[in-house]
Amino acid sequence: MKKATPYLLLVPALLFTVFILLYPLVQNLINSFSDVSMITGRSGWAGLRNYGHIFEDSLFWSSFRNTSVYAVVGTVLALVIGLGFALLLNLKLGKINTIMGCLYTIPWVISPVVAGFAWKWLLNDNFGVVNYWLAYLGVAKVGTTWLGNPGTALFCVMLARIWQFYPFAMVMFLAGLQSIPQEQYEAAAVDGATMIRRFFYITLPNLKTVSSVLLVLGVIWSFNDFNMVFVMTRGGPMNSSMVLPVLVREFSFVHFDLGKGSALSIVIFALLTTLSFLYLKTVSREETL
Amino acid sequence: MKKVLISTLMIVLALLVLLPVLWTVSTSLKPLSEVNRCPPQWVSPTMSLKPYSDMFFYLPFSTYTLNSLIVASSSTILTLLFGSLAAFSFSRFTFAGKRIFLLIFLLSQMLPGASVIIPLFQLLQKVGLYDTYCGLILVHTAVLLPFVIWLLYGFFQTIPREIEDAALIDGCSRMTALRKVILPLALPGIGATALFSFLGSWNEFFFALILTSSDSTRTIPVGIGLFVGEYLDVWNQMAAAAILFSIPPLILFTLTRKTFIKGLVAGASK
Repeated sequence: MKKATPYLLLVPALLFTVFILLYPLVQNLINSFSDVSMITGRSGWAGLRNYGHIFEDSLFWSSFRNTSVYAVVGTVLALVIGLGFALLLNLKLGKINTIMGCLYTIPWVISPVVAGFAWKWLLNDNFGVVNYWLAYLGVAKVGTTWLGNPGTALFCVMLARIWQFYPFAMVMFLAGLQSIPQEQYEAAAVDGATMIRRFFYITLPNLKTVSSVLLVLGVIWSFNDFNMVFVMTRGGPMNSSMVLPVLVREFSFVHFDLGKGSALSIVIFALLTTLSFLYLKTVSREETL
Repeated sequence: MKKVLISTLMIVLALLVLLPVLWTVSTSLKPLSEVNRCPPQWVSPTMSLKPYSDMFFYLPFSTYTLNSLIVASSSTILTLLFGSLAAFSFSRFTFAGKRIFLLIFLLSQMLPGASVIIPLFQLLQKVGLYDTYCGLILVHTAVLLPFVIWLLYGFFQTIPREIEDAALIDGCSRMTALRKVILPLALPGIGATALFSFLGSWNEFFFALILTSSDSTRTIPVGIGLFVGEYLDVWNQMAAAAILFSIPPLILFTLTRKTFIKGLVAGASK
């Protein structure tokens, strides 16, 4: 009986995980190899047909490219901005630091839906502030539809995503900066190292662990992100900002092609599992050091 | 001199970062005639709180708010209950398969929502939980549990075992020790975790969008997300809804910011 206690304690949490996360995953795998319709359900095996349909679809490839750009470029930029803010907050100017630290984290706390709404309104063609200012500076005209233009839509959504993610990077970088032993800087100062040299030879190497963890986590999360794209553009115009999670919904609940939707979701799963293993490897390698 | 310069830079950056929020606040206070005006005005004499009452009158936001409150608080209670049992097991027992169980939770945290949504939709429809509070609460609980277990595990680890051993020697059972010794000591951590859970469910959009279909169960983010496309003519009411919806997270976050960040950093660096 004593021996069973730790397992019994895990049972409720495991039941949730199994029924709501693992069972659907397995079911999805089965669906992806089947003919399934929303109304009649499963009606037999389809082999690799669903996957074939996806890989033949040019929309899949353009969405894949969009998702990768959105995830990788967005995360890298968010990390750079987060690091900049963390360095600024690490200057220790007293009370102003605490207040600014709070203000800079606000975008992170706000719901992605609200963030998407706020950015969409800010970038509004006729009544948004951004266009008005850009017109004032002579860069763009009032009436420029940033979100309605296939060339700029994805970039605008990415901007909103960066805005939401950089505070997380900032908080983690700040913790990393504060754990760097002060002696290293003192020794460097004695040796006459410039501020730039100290940054490249002490600060950056010490932040290697936290940067790699943030990079992988950020790419995984952004790759998975449905909210920002759905709220701001729904993947449009003309699918120019379509990303894979939004495409799953499109296939399954707009075109009612559950087989194709399932196959796509399994493809996403495979891609993300690879990334997750990369993450686990990064974390465990750092642990053994 | 240097200090003044840096402080000014920080304030300018803060304004830049908060631009979308400030613009939304400004919009939420303006009548429609002012909202649809070029050049845009940050402040105008006609500003009032009217959009805030209008939005409850014209859009179904009072129902959405109630739905969000019910779903988020129920999910929080369930995740804390089951999460603390699991975290207690991980932090206080050594047993065969512990690493595998930990790995299952860690990996399910990485599971993309898009990879499970279709069967989940079918499952909930089959058992009659589609478009119900109960269905959404169960799904939110499952989605939040892995990260909650991870956070609580970190907090429980910081409580010295000696205190618990003393309680056991005094004749407490393991469960009494959990209830009377560990839980009170872990209270700040549990508070921060509860906040995380609540916000996670409160802000969650993807599952709430797909697993509900009627106004009587939709949560606020779904309302906002759907209306952004449809009711473009009432930007001021949408802005008011967005601002009201963001206030609880902001307050909760400010209150528990320190503990939460400490837990997050500790968890990620271990």
